[in-house]
Amino acid sequence: MSRLNGASLLFGAAFGFLFAAAGFNQYDVVHATLLLEYLDPFFVMGSSVVTSMLILWLLQRRGWTTPLGGALTLRRWPVERKHVYGGMVFGTGWAIVGACPGTVSTMLAAGSLLGVVPLVGMLVGILLRDTVAERRRPVESEPVRSPARTANTMPPA
Amino acid sequence: MLGWLTVPAPWYIIGPLMGLVVAGMYAVANKHLGVSGSYVQFVDRARNRSIEPWRLWFLGGLMIGAAVVAVLGESPQFGLGYGRLGEVLPLGALVGVLFLGGVLVGYGARWMGACTSGHGLSGCSTRSSGSFVATITFFATAVGVTLLLHAATGGAL
Repeated sequence: MSRLNGASLLFGAAFGFLFAAAGFNQYDVVHATLLLEYLDPFFVMGSSVVTSMLILWLLQRRGWTTPLGGALTLRRWPVERKHVYGGMVFGTGWAIVGACPGTVSTMLAAGSLLGVVPLVGMLVGILLRDTVAERRRPVESEPVRSPARTANTMPPA
Repeated sequence: MLGWLTVPAPWYIIGPLMGLVVAGMYAVANKHLGVSGSYVQFVDRARNRSIEPWRLWFLGGLMIGAAVVAVLGESPQFGLGYGRLGEVLPLGALVGVLFLGGVLVGYGARWMGACTSGHGLSGCSTRSSGSFVATITFFATAVGVTLLLHAATGGAL
């Protein structure tokens, strides 16, 4: 196991623990949140963003060099139409299944077996979107990630 | 299972810790934390594209962390439960709805380039303007559609 993979496993475990401890892997919690009946998750996300934004801003200002990945480079994307269109499609699906990508795998991990259904749906959705995007831009359909491709398309987060 | 942990835990504990994880992933490995990116790896692998193994380690960790919460705390959706939605819909219809909703989530996440974690937590932390727009859009849409569902089902959902 490389150090990057080990770190990813540890950070993933911490994130999954907090995610489930917040109840984000339960339909009823997500649904009540989107119904604006239960507002704590907004405070979870808000306080999380404030904390990490502050830390990352400080690290960036000090020109931080990360132990495993070189100089700290914060990924940022300019506003594009895809953020609105994609956000609308995503938000509609999110409201229907009461689950975002993080929800379904943590549902499964908690023994909530039906989480596998929206998870498979999400994989199909990703494949569909890739297919549509590549038909519109055949240049990007190379089998191996080229430097041009990584430069144009930020890695998915 | 053991009931040692009350879920949901208080937001003012979960939120800042979650922010530490998002910032930590950047500070240690210079990586942008996001869950949907892990799912993209499965699609890329299936299409013989190059993958980012660290994202799969992250996903593995995510599931371990959530499983720990299920053991220490509770797992109300254990088995074939799906909260309120599972009470309203018969199993066959539930599976269909969850699949189609999942497709929308996956399609939308891939379209906008990230999901609730990659844009909502990490992207907002890096002060990415595209992430702010995506986050506002998917939250507004999800709340709107959820309120519509609530009205359309006579308050059943």
